[in-house]
Amino acid sequence: MIEKLTVSATINSLKIITEYIVKVANLGGLDKKATYKLRLATDELATNIINYAYTENNGVGDILFESEISDEVIMIKIKDLGIPFDPTTKLETELKTINIPIEERKIGGLGIFLVFDGVDQFFYERIDNENISTLIIYRK
Amino acid sequence: MELKINTTDKIQIVTIEGDIDSSVASVVTDKIVPLATAKAKIIIDMTEVAYMSSAGLRTLLSIHRQATNNEAQLILVGISEDIKDTMSVTGFLNFFTISESLESAKGII
Repeated sequence: MIEKLTVSATINSLKIITEYIVKVANLGGLDKKATYKLRLATDELATNIINYAYTENNGVGDILFESEISDEVIMIKIKDLGIPFDPTTKLETELKTINIPIEERKIGGLGIFLVFDGVDQFFYERIDNENISTLIIYRK
Repeated sequence: MELKINTTDKIQIVTIEGDIDSSVASVVTDKIVPLATAKAKIIIDMTEVAYMSSAGLRTLLSIHRQATNNEAQLILVGISEDIKDTMSVTGFLNFFTISESLESAKGII
């Protein structure tokens, strides 16, 4: 089963994205905590796309979601046609941040860390001008 | 998201209702940070906040910083298990005073 969603990359789309992800999580039989963490992971990736992906195009562009539920996993692909951005390159910096007392931290993001924390597998690909993030959650 | 500020007995009580994501976090920051004046006492009641993303963590960091700089006291009330989990894995939880209820927060501030 494949569920798709296309929304414009604007902050107002977050609500629709959340409804979509909760629907997919429910179809995949995820519990409340796993659903929350998946919503968080998706929100963080979508917010990055909204804030940065289309800066060279006056912020205009789309975010595409494709979710596939199999017996073992829920696989969600999040795509945009914006500037190349590999979220995995941010992870190391954010992992270091977590061990710094908050008095000494810069005001910065921890979103990518929360993406990795919220799913079982994450990978990124750049194919034909598309950024593709793939999130995998085990259904058990 | 709705945010109300009440002042009673020199304690500023901020009540937030609704999700805190990147669409509203800057509004929350702009409303709460100015409350953290010298020696201020601030309680943030988040009982009705079911969801908070990293944008909300940024907001909490800004408030914490301003409160520390101005020797203001800050207590968070009614943090959900999910939000506690996010604050824990990102190393935020230990730096905040957290109280289960508004009454107990008033007692310790």
